[in-house]
Amino acid sequence: MKKKTNMQIAAKVVTLSVSAALAMAPVAVLAQEAIDLSKWSPAYVKAIAGTAKFDTVGDCNKVVSTDHAGRVTYWYTGPADSDPEISRKVDAEFWLAFKAAYPNIAVDAQNIVYNDLLDKFRVALLGNAGPMVVRLQILGGVEFGAKGYLQELKPEDVGYTSADFWPGAMKSVTYGGATYGIPTNNETMAFIYNAKIFADAGLDPETAPATWDDVVVASKTIHDKLGIAGYGMVAKQNAGNTPFRFMPQLWAYGGSALDENAAAPTYKTIGLNSPGSKAALQASYDMYVRDQSVPVSALTNTQGENQAPFIAGQLAMMIAHPSEYAKMVDLASKATGADKAVADEVVANMRYGLMPSGPDRRAVVFGGSNIHLVKGEYVDGGQDDMAARALICMWTSPEWSTKLAWVGSNPGNLKGFQTEWMKERLDTIKFLDVTTSMLPNGIPFPVIPEAPEIMNIIIPDMLQNALTGKMTVDEAAEDAAKKVEALLSGL
Amino acid sequence: MTRSIGPATLAPPRKSPGVVRQIVNQRADYLYVLPALIVMLVVIAYPIWFTIDMSFYKTPASLQLRDRSFVGLKNYATILSAPAFWAVTWNTMIWTLASTCFAFLIGLGAALALHREFAGRGVMRALLLIPYVVSAVAASYVWKWLYHSDFGVFGALSVQLGFTDKPINFLDNLYTVLPSLIVVNIWREFSFAMIMLMAGLQTVPEQLLRAAQVDGANAWQRFWHITMPHLKGVSMVTILLLMVANFNSFVVPWIMTGGGPAGASDIWITHIYQIAFGRQNWGLASAYSVILFVVMMALGYFYVKALTRGDEGRAG
Repeated sequence: MKKKTNMQIAAKVVTLSVSAALAMAPVAVLAQEAIDLSKWSPAYVKAIAGTAKFDTVGDCNKVVSTDHAGRVTYWYTGPADSDPEISRKVDAEFWLAFKAAYPNIAVDAQNIVYNDLLDKFRVALLGNAGPMVVRLQILGGVEFGAKGYLQELKPEDVGYTSADFWPGAMKSVTYGGATYGIPTNNETMAFIYNAKIFADAGLDPETAPATWDDVVVASKTIHDKLGIAGYGMVAKQNAGNTPFRFMPQLWAYGGSALDENAAAPTYKTIGLNSPGSKAALQASYDMYVRDQSVPVSALTNTQGENQAPFIAGQLAMMIAHPSEYAKMVDLASKATGADKAVADEVVANMRYGLMPSGPDRRAVVFGGSNIHLVKGEYVDGGQDDMAARALICMWTSPEWSTKLAWVGSNPGNLKGFQTEWMKERLDTIKFLDVTTSMLPNGIPFPVIPEAPEIMNIIIPDMLQNALTGKMTVDEAAEDAAKKVEALLSGL
Repeated sequence: MTRSIGPATLAPPRKSPGVVRQIVNQRADYLYVLPALIVMLVVIAYPIWFTIDMSFYKTPASLQLRDRSFVGLKNYATILSAPAFWAVTWNTMIWTLASTCFAFLIGLGAALALHREFAGRGVMRALLLIPYVVSAVAASYVWKWLYHSDFGVFGALSVQLGFTDKPINFLDNLYTVLPSLIVVNIWREFSFAMIMLMAGLQTVPEQLLRAAQVDGANAWQRFWHITMPHLKGVSMVTILLLMVANFNSFVVPWIMTGGGPAGASDIWITHIYQIAFGRQNWGLASAYSVILFVVMMALGYFYVKALTRGDEGRAG
């Protein structure tokens, strides 16, 4: 008989502890009220936080027995060295908790940087050497679902219901009528501005521009009175940053790329040459060409290039992630001398507002990530379905989907908003209530394999063609619509 | 004494052995080079074959590569009939010719200047080598900030010195972006030309130059009639290498502008990268690559031909 190692003994002790906890679990679970998305607001988000408790291991045990012995391989973009300490701590805690819950499942998890994950996954699949489970950015999965690499997977397969997740998020994992994944986390960007610059320009410092037309006016006012850039437009070619900032404007004016803003999109009709899309493009043209109130460098800028002028008090407004405040605090802490005083003043005057609305609606890009199950024939060593489902159940649970999205996002599982950890996040992360309240306005990009080309190439091209004067606004919109039409028709 | 002429001497010359016979006869030699040959086949020949093969297929974003469909020459027809191809080709020609010419001429000037003895020559030589040893990625980011249309150093200087009333728009303008990138490329490459030509200058016979001077030749005549002919070989190689490098340039334009604005700085390689990795259209990107490959091979052939002209005569 083999001698047991210390690790094996420890694992056995943990297993016994978990089993004991499981036996007592039912008494620990509080009654939960269903979340009403129609009531969603900063106040509602605060009101429901901390109102329910969940027994993660007990719930997942119903899906996959904690006695299950097997192996799971997992690729994801986890915390990097530059991320806040809390992100790395939570990530490490998750793997300890999973080991404690499923001591007989061996885990091979690879944390792969954002820009490498898609290409690495593509190449691995070509060699049938993919992982069993992969977590991809919200639009990443559709390509692989369409190509037949992913197994069908819906929340019900791991003990949850589709109603536990944002409808927009579920849309992002649905292709050709089948569901290929489960949302892990979701976030929307917010409108950020410098209240002091607003006051200096004679604008209301405590109110963000309500509409995109107001943004155009505010940007011009700031530029004309103070000589600095108003709105931090981003219009770089081949950059994902561009559609994340332009599409909310396009949707607000009533435009669309296809019909992604419809309740039941078909992705068959093209909306880039619609009057709404042209109006949005005209608003950008007015800011860049007519008023010259945005950075000249907008055509080569990503959001990263907006951070320096913002912290230096040379840029008044921008669209960014919930975590932008933490980034600005970090930049201010690194500033020295006179720059330090300016940066501290910018941080003190930083405000988050709702994304401006337009004649049609208020809109924002629905972002986040989804977790997927790879078909066995494309997995290195074959698929262990049960071990994979155990991991997915834990990761998408109310508890861990909240904790794992601590700094930069929000729980994909809506019940995460009812946890004590959500309450803690709201108490400790500034402006989180504003950014979470934008979630109901979120629209996912079209869920088709051609979406990256439409969003990252055709739409930035359309903007650049209009803003450089290479084409008129009308011509640029029509040109983009033709390109999308050719793309969808398979030319 | 007479010598008898044997039948062996009169026999017709033996037929040279065939390729297979030669390989068998020299099998030990072939065994020695076999590992290198296999590596070359795997890392050079196979990718070339795979790219050529892929260029005849349609590879939509919604299909796996194994489900690609054969379309014959359609990808080539699509490319050659697209206005973007000609715009990108025009940009590539301007980029390559301007970068190569100016990098070579500035490198030649620097090499001639550094060929003479003067105080601080070593320091100057080291300083001029910096652009060549700096990482292209790092240099591109630094130049991007120097050129920045709002907060760039050049823009700020031009305003402070009173040349312009607002910063010059280098990178966000259809007409200034390509020349601006070419300047960066020349800055990066002239050191390479300088090193090559400095080596070439060592081969110019000092006695010849002195003899010409004694005969009354002025500096220009000595340079044109003695130095330049001796630099012909190294110049040809330098220009060839610069042209190949410039045709294949990627880092500088991609990092600084991504091919923009509105495609004004898009050259072949950035365009191919965008089609392959941005649009996931591997078939079309492969066809583009094959066209570029053919152009490069043709260029290389004619260049080598020019380089070796007269060699056969001398050898004979």
